[in-house]
Amino acid sequence: MIGDLLSNNLRWAATKTRMDPEYFRRLSEQQTPEYLWIGCSDSRVPANEVVGLDPGELFVHRNVANLAPSQDANFLSVLQFAVEVLRVRHIIVCGHYGCGGVRAAMGGRRLGLIDHWLSPIRALHDERFEEMAQIADFETRVNAMCEANVVAQVRNVTANPFVRDAWAKGQKLEVHGWIYSIRDGLIRDLEVSVSRQPGPAPKRRPRSQPAIVGRVPPGSKPRLVHVCTPDCDHDH
Amino acid sequence: MMIIDDHVEVPAQPSRLLIEPTPPELLRHPLDFLFAEHYRHRQLCRILDHLAEAAAADLPLMARADDFIRYDLALHVIDEEEDLFPLLRRRCEPDDDIDQVIGRLSGDHRDDAALARTVRAHFAEALAKAVPIWKIANGPRDLRQFARQERAHVALENAVVMPLARARLGGEDQRALSRRLAARRGIYLEN
Repeated sequence: MIGDLLSNNLRWAATKTRMDPEYFRRLSEQQTPEYLWIGCSDSRVPANEVVGLDPGELFVHRNVANLAPSQDANFLSVLQFAVEVLRVRHIIVCGHYGCGGVRAAMGGRRLGLIDHWLSPIRALHDERFEEMAQIADFETRVNAMCEANVVAQVRNVTANPFVRDAWAKGQKLEVHGWIYSIRDGLIRDLEVSVSRQPGPAPKRRPRSQPAIVGRVPPGSKPRLVHVCTPDCDHDH
Repeated sequence: MMIIDDHVEVPAQPSRLLIEPTPPELLRHPLDFLFAEHYRHRQLCRILDHLAEAAAADLPLMARADDFIRYDLALHVIDEEEDLFPLLRRRCEPDDDIDQVIGRLSGDHRDDAALARTVRAHFAEALAKAVPIWKIANGPRDLRQFARQERAHVALENAVVMPLARARLGGEDQRALSRRLAARRGIYLEN
């Protein structure tokens, strides 16, 4: 019943106030989040809750399959506001395993308008078809694509003019790619973080071997996980 | 030994029919922890084979096996599917052919999950009726099949995946894996 939601809201507000009488006053007086969260619309991923932050501490943008498309006015407005007005320090693209949007993009079924929205994922899947075909199990392939999609969206964010302008002005800003599992509530860092430090490769933990996404067909070059930075002089 | 309706009553051997808990300190050594979990899965297989053969209903043992499949095994699948395997995909060398191995193991997990539902349904029926598994249609066959599948799966993981994990996962990878294995079990490990 819809009335239950309003009753729940009364209970929630009363409990919050009882536990912390200053909670709503504090929340209403300022919004200075350090983080912009770009996540999936999936209702099972409550952004601020999974990272243990209060609502005012995380600026949130959600859409189906956590995309960061350069033509989407909604996303661009959020990004510009977060970077230029709120001056967030971190942008987190967080996908989740088993994403229905990613699964839909990988399937052949026509769903309508959402097919247009998901077309970047379909293109990414086509691009990596050979690599994905090595993974026999469909659900595992979906999860691998969920990860690949996060990496692609991190690349989109770092290529965005608002982000590049911020870096050019010396603003401290890092972009991160994470993935969440609804089955255990845990986030995995996909190690594709990018800051404005110069260098061709994204910041990652020191390792003896480079990280390679998937199996590489014989005779071809391994594909390194790589997200370009404004200073990147990598040979593409 | 007593013979009832062609079924041989196997005397219960409590020490063989236990699933030992994994020592919590192993969480600090995630690959050893996962290896120990595989050992527990073999213990489950032994119990499933025993229940498939047993002439008398051992309801507490059925309930324990059912709980293990429901909780421990399900958690272990997440440990691998959404943690160890994706990490290995990022760390392995092209020659490791990790996608093919993981693709097969993930397929096994899917098959196991389907059969686990069937086995749990057999347990539910046997527990409700307080009868041994042989009195449940297809019960012994499905329990044996599940045990066979699980043994083959664990053997492949121990032979291929665990050595690769030891070779490719660095100290920081293993520390992060430890913390997630623990969190999944309700334990917060300090870094």
